[in-house]
Amino acid sequence: MLESQKHMNRRTWLWSFVTALLAAPLRRLRAFARVQAPALASADVATLESIAEIVLPSDLGVDGRKRVVVAFVTWIKDYKEGADRGYGYGASTLSAPAGPSPAGRYPDQLAAFEATARSKGAASFAALPADVRRAQIEASLGSMPGGARLPARPTGANLIADLMGFYFNSADAWNLAYRARIDRDSCRALAGSEQPPAPLGSP
Amino acid sequence: MARYEADVVVIGGGITAAMVAEKLAELRPSWSVIVVEAGKRVFDNEKRFEYRKRNLDYGEHIWPGDYITDQAARGVISRAMAVGGSALHWGGVCNRFSEEDTRLRSLYGLAVDWPIEWRDLEKFYCEAERRVGVSGEASPLPEDWRSEPYPMPAMPMTYNLLQIKSWGEQSGVKFWTTPQAKNTVAGYGGRNICLRCNTCEICPTGARYSPDWTFKRLLAEKKIQLHDQTLVRKLVLDDKTTRIAAAQAAREDGSDNDVEYRARTFVLASGYCWSPHLLLLSANSRFPAGLANSSDHVGRYMTGHLAYQTTIDVNLKLYPGMNEQHSLISRQFFRCRTDQPYVRHDLRLWESAGGRGPQLRDAAGKLLLGDELIADWRNRTTRGTVRVRGYFDVHPDKDSRLTLDSATKNRWGDALPAIRHQVDAATRSRDAQTREHFQTLFASLAKAGDGRMGGMNALNYQDHPGGGCRMGTDPATSVVNSFGRTHDHENLFVVGSPTIPTGGCTNGTLTFVALALRSTAEIAKN
Repeated sequence: MLESQKHMNRRTWLWSFVTALLAAPLRRLRAFARVQAPALASADVATLESIAEIVLPSDLGVDGRKRVVVAFVTWIKDYKEGADRGYGYGASTLSAPAGPSPAGRYPDQLAAFEATARSKGAASFAALPADVRRAQIEASLGSMPGGARLPARPTGANLIADLMGFYFNSADAWNLAYRARIDRDSCRALAGSEQPPAPLGSP
Repeated sequence: MARYEADVVVIGGGITAAMVAEKLAELRPSWSVIVVEAGKRVFDNEKRFEYRKRNLDYGEHIWPGDYITDQAARGVISRAMAVGGSALHWGGVCNRFSEEDTRLRSLYGLAVDWPIEWRDLEKFYCEAERRVGVSGEASPLPEDWRSEPYPMPAMPMTYNLLQIKSWGEQSGVKFWTTPQAKNTVAGYGGRNICLRCNTCEICPTGARYSPDWTFKRLLAEKKIQLHDQTLVRKLVLDDKTTRIAAAQAAREDGSDNDVEYRARTFVLASGYCWSPHLLLLSANSRFPAGLANSSDHVGRYMTGHLAYQTTIDVNLKLYPGMNEQHSLISRQFFRCRTDQPYVRHDLRLWESAGGRGPQLRDAAGKLLLGDELIADWRNRTTRGTVRVRGYFDVHPDKDSRLTLDSATKNRWGDALPAIRHQVDAATRSRDAQTREHFQTLFASLAKAGDGRMGGMNALNYQDHPGGGCRMGTDPATSVVNSFGRTHDHENLFVVGSPTIPTGGCTNGTLTFVALALRSTAEIAKN
């Protein structure tokens, strides 16, 4: 590792990161052409876990964050390209089938993280100090178009936003935010309907 | 060519077809009944949890295979075409219309009166509620009298709805729970008790009525034949009379393009779109404008209702997501004094997660990660959101039409339908006053409950559509009589939604079913 890389200033590595992101579209196009999206490798999982440490609530703890990453990877694995999305009520047209797996767009983004980490003198993104990772994550999210809304489901456009959307739209996240066991979309008996949900942590 | 004969052939496999078939099997057990449905049977109860999960997780279609790709209509609001029809997706809301809906001309000088006495129709509402299994609480308004209690106790109010009811009634408007075709008692109709799974459009536990329940039972008891994936393309007239002699059909899988059904009575139970469509497609030299269409009223007076809706930010701690499809209703505005500007509507309240979800940025635009995001989110959970909607009564113009679109055809070359709703001049003249009414009403709800009203928006399509074969006593201005018998063909009935002259101001399914049951009693007399 070059000494100069170790001391690359924040602006320089941010630029390198953004440049890597800008270079990604062509590679993304190639990825789209694949019928089967690549599975995330174990190194990618480590990167995801290091992202999760920054973007997910500390209440989850290390194990909780790992579980979210595992669930995210499983979601990606079970995604079905071309799946029927049916039709919406109030419209006479069919919805477009499910597009290519979001996973097809992740390798370039992950590679960009790693490239930037190496340019910072780190062996991997996960090896970067938390504050540096945070800055890189903020830069990535900051470059996203749109407002405050997290993606309802992973789209591939931004891996970090996808991971965040995946968790924060989950029933577990709603429970955490409300500090109550709402358990959205869970089936439960009618008895007790009139009661508020039990506090989080109660049996 | 395959040929079938039956006493009654029912064309269509949705909720009204299910009701007709069930009631005929009871009233005339010796009659043979064939139900012919263009779409597939979706009888895979055991897969509903899986479908639901894929829909929740991936947004995949909740009822795979419940439509036909090239059997579409411009202006239709649901592509459902399967055994069960739109009622597969149905939320199960079972509101009744009110007497005013049937007496618009007499009471208000608007649109037309229905050729049915309310007291007569009310009996069939009770029957409809028994057959589909409705849980509900009676309206406290004496005008909403009913001759029988609901078959099942009302769905209990959730904690959220209890809060919302107290909040809403500060405005002086009374609210109660919306009746629903969902079991609050285990075993009613062979169905399970509701487990408030929050996804009523696909009820994974089988607590909500859908027509497949009825068809499966009738088939198991060998009461009917069900020919699915069979599209009826044309009704054929008897050579010497005006009776319908046959229905010509084709198998969707291409195995037989020449299926013929002969029957003493034909019942068109294909909904507001495909019923008038088939009549128009069946034009011949004696009825060049289409069967049952000597009045030129087939495909006219397409109706439904419109809505205004808003959300209100309220000072209530709500926990959205525990049975958020359950709602409150007020029928206070079903009536309109005759010396007041005309506006009639229902009023519904729901819990809502609107504005209460996670946000990537705070109000100032600052990016939020991890604990910051949760903290920002928690700040927004201290208050709640109430969704408010009112369906209001609009009346169709004669040129509110379903027509054949010769530019769009299915695989057999049949022109497909195009629907273009158009309200009548009187309705249009009320646009501004209707909007103002809702603006004032929603604002008063918000103000009384110390809430903050969001923007008000209008529904951009007519919901719970009907019409196209409207009923009436005058054959010159209607297609069918009050029993759904076509004026032109004594052995052809049209049942359910196509027959309604006006669309009311609340969910229509129970009314469509009640009318179909009334028709069935008449069909069974023949």
